[in-house]
Amino acid sequence: MAQVSVDRSMATTGGLLERAEELAALDERLDAVKTTGSGQVVLIRGEAGAGKTALIREFCDARAGSARIVRGACEPLFTPRPLGPLIEIAEELGGDLFTLVERGAKPYEVVAALAQELDGPSPVVCVLDDLHWADEATLDVFRLLARRIESVPVLVVAGYRGDEIDVAAPLQIVLGELATSPAITRMKLSPLSPAAVAELAEPHEADADELYAKTAGNPFFVVEALAGGAAAIPETVRDAVLARAARLSPAGRSLLETVAVVPPQAELWLLDAIAGPSVDGLEECLATGMLRSDPTGIAFRHELARLAIEDSIAPSRKLELHRAALAALQEPPIGSVDHARLAHHAEAAEDGKAVLLFAPAAAARASALGAHREAAAQYARTLRFAADLPASDRADLLHLRSQECYVTDHIDEAIDAGQEELELRRSLGQLEQEGEALNWLSHILWCPGRTAESRHAREEAVALLETLPPGHELALAWMNSWSVPDVTRALELAMELGDTDAAVRALSVLSEIRFTEGGRQTIEQCVELAREAGLDELEGWIYSHSVRQAIAMRQYDVATAWADAAIDLCSDRGLELYRFYALADKADLQLDQGRWTEAAESASAVLSIQRASILPRIQGLVVLGLVRARRGDPGYEELLDEAWALGEPTGEPLRLGSVAAARAEAAWLAGDHASVAEATEHALAIAVDQRHAISLGELSLWRRRAGISDEISPDTGEPYASQLAGDWRLAAAFWDDVGCPYEAALARADSDDEAELRAALDELNRLGARPTAAIVAGRLRGQGARGLPRGPRRATRENPAGLTSRQLEVLELVAEGMRDSEIAVRLVLSERTVGHHVSAILRKLGVRNRGQATAEAARLGLLSQDR
Amino acid sequence: MVERIFGGGLTVRSDPAGAEACSAFVRRNVDEGVTWLQSYVSDDGSRSFCLYEGPSPEAIRKAAAANDLPVDRITEVSVLDPYFRR
Repeated sequence: MAQVSVDRSMATTGGLLERAEELAALDERLDAVKTTGSGQVVLIRGEAGAGKTALIREFCDARAGSARIVRGACEPLFTPRPLGPLIEIAEELGGDLFTLVERGAKPYEVVAALAQELDGPSPVVCVLDDLHWADEATLDVFRLLARRIESVPVLVVAGYRGDEIDVAAPLQIVLGELATSPAITRMKLSPLSPAAVAELAEPHEADADELYAKTAGNPFFVVEALAGGAAAIPETVRDAVLARAARLSPAGRSLLETVAVVPPQAELWLLDAIAGPSVDGLEECLATGMLRSDPTGIAFRHELARLAIEDSIAPSRKLELHRAALAALQEPPIGSVDHARLAHHAEAAEDGKAVLLFAPAAAARASALGAHREAAAQYARTLRFAADLPASDRADLLHLRSQECYVTDHIDEAIDAGQEELELRRSLGQLEQEGEALNWLSHILWCPGRTAESRHAREEAVALLETLPPGHELALAWMNSWSVPDVTRALELAMELGDTDAAVRALSVLSEIRFTEGGRQTIEQCVELAREAGLDELEGWIYSHSVRQAIAMRQYDVATAWADAAIDLCSDRGLELYRFYALADKADLQLDQGRWTEAAESASAVLSIQRASILPRIQGLVVLGLVRARRGDPGYEELLDEAWALGEPTGEPLRLGSVAAARAEAAWLAGDHASVAEATEHALAIAVDQRHAISLGELSLWRRRAGISDEISPDTGEPYASQLAGDWRLAAAFWDDVGCPYEAALARADSDDEAELRAALDELNRLGARPTAAIVAGRLRGQGARGLPRGPRRATRENPAGLTSRQLEVLELVAEGMRDSEIAVRLVLSERTVGHHVSAILRKLGVRNRGQATAEAARLGLLSQDR
Repeated sequence: MVERIFGGGLTVRSDPAGAEACSAFVRRNVDEGVTWLQSYVSDDGSRSFCLYEGPSPEAIRKAAAANDLPVDRITEVSVLDPYFRR
């Protein structure tokens, strides 16, 4: 077993206890990168002090000769410097990357340059340590790099604390998205075993059992406890660190404190400037292993130790040190001024003036880099010191904070800041800005479902802005009504003003309302216009609205393309809220297309993110609830009940209608017709009132299926109206045509024709819709049908296009060039049934005609001569 | 409780190959956070009733797909013991 000396850090002496397996895994991954030229990501998780950094060091030191190694560590600041670790890496790699990072490029540009620098004949090990502290821009870079990892010969080694990320933390979201990639390896560092602790305790003659009981095998704690040299084993990590520090000379102790207040590390010039005579204690601190020397400066061996020391410094001394650091960092002898770091020290030094100087600058830089979370925090920091600023400056800061909170989907904070701004504008009599604030509030109040307040704010904005000279804000206020005359007025005004942002917004809304009349092309033009104008937020906004419209129009190809484009764009540009919308829309359209497994995955991804915007959450709950209910799986009630609790108070068909329809369907599947009535009554009244074509259709149809006969509203949309009028054939053809297999099967289930019912049953079995299939089988049995299949046929799962065995038979004959009538004779089926099979085959193979179907079938090896 | 229907019948031999097949199931279940507790198989091997612990029905289905096992029905169950008295 490896030896370890505890007098100095475990990291520097080589040989770690009980980490051989992890080191071997890292070696194996690096070798794989070498041989394949395709990249790998290794995620190392462990509690604080588990030895993540030590493990990574050990690996890098061992491989330093055979691979190029670049390192970046995230900083334990409340609002870290955006792209901090990438700046470190860029300094080592140089090239275009360095120039880009210096001038504050966006994450996607940084990744492109990074990939270029990493792409060489020999593999690179890229270390991103302490990822739990990463700023949003760094996480974006990590996410984008991981996504294209297979095209870059790099081993990315990322360490993070498993105990520090809470449910909504951005890192967890990123890690969740990486879940299924084969190029990702996860390892968890376990605490040391009692045997390893005993081995470490032995030379110190310490009580191994007591040491293990107190430290629970945490390697850092164990080493600190032993290095403290005290007779008794300390109770906490903090006690261990302080006991160790207490043995230093006064100069050493003083220097330790100085280094503790300037995380992540103290550059030598900075120590010279702020440590005074105590700089003499440096050697002692390095010799005892409490501090270590890095290429970038002097740092604590571990953040746990830094925190313990920082906590123990007297408040007056701490203030003095922060003041000194603040002064020194304003004039660095090398490199540029780091505003995030200055803002940190300014606040700790209680220097309000300096906070007002540096925090807004740090915020603006963070925002430009797409680190919106850090920008919001810097604005919050500024506002804490802004009491003496003129009211209009404070209102401006609140406005900026509200925007940053909104794009990171912290809606409650965004609304608070927006309302505070509104009050200030009113007290100042700034009418135009008041109108702007009202517009903004109207927009953000809608997200958490505060519909009435949102409408009220919009009406106030219109009333106010119409009294002023027409401008950008009036155009936006008109547009927010989503009515054709108002949006048209808004468009005309925006064109007159030469206001690209408002014009493109209004045009995209109009195109959405008139989707079928060439709206689709116009929306794509709008996206193009926004892109050319460099308006990222607008581009995301157009997508987030249009995908839903494409789904409502059953144009699934368009919807899929837009949703994918939106997810890519929003991941690249840090537009969290719109990405979240697009993900939920994707779950929706996958459900409609009968891709239930994928739909459940997308919906689960949406639900794993706890956010304030309720529409995406409602969609996620409905999709997952329906997948479970349709499969006959448990656990759908609580999902649909939560969706109802969120959607009901909004009173909007968009948010409440789909939930009511889903609950009705689940009740119908359970044979509980009374609950269908109950679930739909309220929503139906709203749909009638607002003439919402789809909601009317869905709700009326479920009520009809549950045996409730309503008068059908003339506003009911197609194909629901036809189905309700008894023309299930037309409805089924519609669903076949747009590619909704479950809905098509349900439409056919209304038929009395045995062949149609059998086709419906086949399709439901293929989809795994057990309860629905049971209902249809019951109807068939009622008609005296025999020999019904039970459950999805084995064969279906084995062929890649998901064709049933009957459809495969038909496909064989199609490939032989037979017409429907000939196939009908051969297989003893009606010609119409053959027609249905053929259209199902075309859809499943994703082709337009029989010729293409034959070619595709041959390609997939579905034909018997190929098998 | 996962009910499975096997078209061709289920045969798990009680030899090293059978044991290896079962431990392969267990390994793949881990990826989805699913734990196989116990199964009852009908004498003809056509049906099985398998007790699982898992985070969601989707996870159980994914694990089943990874193991190429059919799923007919998933029911959430709790333990009822005939000798339980109080």
